[in-house]
Amino acid sequence: LALQSAPLSSPDELAALRQALVARRKTTGSSVTMCGGTGCQASGCLAVVEAVKAGLVRQGLAESVVLRVSGCHGFCEQGPLMLIEPGNIFYCHISPDDAGEIVSRTVAQGEVIERLLYTDPVSGEKVPTEAQIPFYAAQDRVLLGQNKRLDPTSIEDYILDGGYAALAKVLAQANPEQVIQQIKASGLRGRGGGGFPTGQKWEACRAAADGRGKYVICNADEGDPGAYMDRSILEGNPHGVLEGMLIGAYAIGAGQGWIYVRNEYPLAVKHARIAVEQARRYGLLGENILGSGFSFDVEIARGAGAFVCGESTALMASLEGKVGEPVPKDVHTVERGLWGRPSNLNNVETWANVPGIINHGAAWFAARGTPASTGTKVFALTGRVKNTGLVEIPLGTSLRTIVFDIGGGASDGGKVKAVQTGGPSGGCLPVRKFNLQVDFDTLTKAGSMVGSGGMVVMDERTCMVDVAKYFLKFLQDESCGKCVPCRVGIDRMLEIVTDITEGRGRPEQLDLLEELGETVAETSLCALGKTAPNPVLSTLRYFRDEYHAHIEQGRCPAGVCRALIRYTINAEACTGCGACRQACPHGAISGKKKEPHAINPEVCTRCGICRDTCKLGAVAVL
Amino acid sequence: LKENAMQQFVTISLDGAKVRAAKGNTVLDTALAYGTCIPHLCYVPNLSSLGACRLCIVEVVSNGRAKVTTSCTLDVQEGMVVVTNSDKVRRLRRNIAEMLVAEAPNSKALQCLAVRCGVEEVRYPFRNKDCVLCGRCVRACGEMWRAKAIGFVGRGRQRRVSFPFGVKPAFCKMCLSCVDLCPMTITPCGGPMKPGEEHLCGKCESQLTMNRDFPDTCVQCNLGRGFGCTRAVVV
Repeated sequence: LALQSAPLSSPDELAALRQALVARRKTTGSSVTMCGGTGCQASGCLAVVEAVKAGLVRQGLAESVVLRVSGCHGFCEQGPLMLIEPGNIFYCHISPDDAGEIVSRTVAQGEVIERLLYTDPVSGEKVPTEAQIPFYAAQDRVLLGQNKRLDPTSIEDYILDGGYAALAKVLAQANPEQVIQQIKASGLRGRGGGGFPTGQKWEACRAAADGRGKYVICNADEGDPGAYMDRSILEGNPHGVLEGMLIGAYAIGAGQGWIYVRNEYPLAVKHARIAVEQARRYGLLGENILGSGFSFDVEIARGAGAFVCGESTALMASLEGKVGEPVPKDVHTVERGLWGRPSNLNNVETWANVPGIINHGAAWFAARGTPASTGTKVFALTGRVKNTGLVEIPLGTSLRTIVFDIGGGASDGGKVKAVQTGGPSGGCLPVRKFNLQVDFDTLTKAGSMVGSGGMVVMDERTCMVDVAKYFLKFLQDESCGKCVPCRVGIDRMLEIVTDITEGRGRPEQLDLLEELGETVAETSLCALGKTAPNPVLSTLRYFRDEYHAHIEQGRCPAGVCRALIRYTINAEACTGCGACRQACPHGAISGKKKEPHAINPEVCTRCGICRDTCKLGAVAVL
Repeated sequence: LKENAMQQFVTISLDGAKVRAAKGNTVLDTALAYGTCIPHLCYVPNLSSLGACRLCIVEVVSNGRAKVTTSCTLDVQEGMVVVTNSDKVRRLRRNIAEMLVAEAPNSKALQCLAVRCGVEEVRYPFRNKDCVLCGRCVRACGEMWRAKAIGFVGRGRQRRVSFPFGVKPAFCKMCLSCVDLCPMTITPCGGPMKPGEEHLCGKCESQLTMNRDFPDTCVQCNLGRGFGCTRAVVV
């Protein structure tokens, strides 16, 4: 039941509404929070929610227990996830069949169901509460921690949690210059990849000549393979992003904002739309916000999935209805951007950081991280690692902490070899570099980058040449094709790397790759091309021996590149069970029962199914 | 060079020389007017700058740091320090020209550009394409004639020049301005190269001295005529 019907017209009314909401919340005791992020929805959390709802009704608890479907909790691999208060009880891998038991035992009587608890993959023990799970304990979840307290479709949850207090504070007390000073003092840098100081950007945009109005833009066109930080923030806390944009617009003097979000993120689009609608209804968007005289509105624009549209000028072209292609940035977008007007574009995570800085002060924010890279950053930890999910850590944390303490090390008994940071434009760092601090400058110096925050862990079954090929293929597909170095250069690099993985490589091609990489990085029109050679250059820098093995010895050390490997059956280990013979889709394996089998290399396509099938480990890669 | 009585001027440093440049002009306009050679392909006077071929790159020095950028998209500013022919710029330019000539060796323009930019060998397999997407035709059609009968279609490797929806529209009057400006219409002097026989021609013997250590200044070379150098056309 909504407590507020008319738009809020002053900061006092907002405070009064918050108090009323707090008073109402006190009458309810416990809560069940189900993670409703895209990851958990894919593993079936909505069915669990329905079952829990039915269970609560059956037990007569529907009134006294808050059932909330929140945004992403970050531990996507363990989904569907549930958090039960009081007790901070954390259940994972829940099926709808468990719902009845959860309600009758845990919610009603406070008993812990052992079987649903999280098992620490390192120690093998059950962990009773969320706070004790190593994955969460080693993090500092300033932004993501809010998600579990909020129903993203409810503005009241957000206001109850202290939401829009920063906006009220800014409108009532600060002038725009003070806001900018505070953001500058916090040291906040752009979370989208560039790491440009946010306060400086705002200041430049505020100073830009204002003839026909200015714009602020939220870049939610996240497209890196394996990265989903921005999506989870916009899905889980859309009002936080909106509040950040409101404060930014006030500081810059903009009257109109845009959220450019990928249409492939349906939940983020939906939640952002609901949030904008609610904020308008509550008088937090529109004319004369909270009686301050400041007017601002936000529109949602959906991107059609072009990776290059995450680049600021291409994004603005796309917003204007033109083809999403970048234009040279000899004049910055803060001076001449969307429709030729000063435009301030920031990433979702950057905007989401703003309310916290206003609420708690610049010093509070700068206390985390390193002097040059302050605050926390969300990373998407994926790949061959035990705990995958969203990880929020203060900048300056070492790679080792992220991969081993939070990630729990390599999965399936492997050995971590490298980590790829920064998405397709980032680089691969070897395990001997894991003492490096994760901050903007250190990673760039090491040939990689923080980027938007993708982090893919690789073990010794990953071929680094193949990794370079994968990212080049992605970038070749996503290059807009406007400028020669990016369109032709990436294509040529891919050609050379493909030659190497297929056994046609020549030693002199490595120098050519490096020279080409430099040319593409220096001369491309936009940041996509300028960073595109990073995967190749960083693997050449740290894993040159793998390239040499491919070229000179004609072998792939990781056993990945099909043209260079051969599957054989170890006759001593093979018992002739015939499992591989039956599994082989090409009929390449022959042998009599209870006698060692053999693979015909002429027919074999090196798909590896036989190796996965064999229970005795008799199939080997040469 | 655009000039009139009301013209305002700025002073920039061009390869170490202090020169006067009309406000609103690009670095490329200015450099060409002063006879400094900056090879270029997609740039055409009086059409908008696309910044696609990246051949006209220069180094701009500010706060002691040099940044590589295209001169056709860079407007002159008071005190700007531009280096048009540093070793780095030449090396990068040569690599771009090498990529271009490998894409379309059957164009005299690109062969000449490759010689002018110091390409001595092509380290990639030749591809023999018909178009390098310089966009001269697209801009001539859209900006000179306001016809927009052709445009870019597709992304990345699929990018090509085409009619709207692939059908020649009635408002294309076959003026052939697009063909006039196309760098692909003239084959190398030795005639078209058959598939498998493509090579870097480098045949302009009088120009070969340039190959190794080409001059910074415009010598109104024949190569310029080959690739439609603005200066060669204007003079």
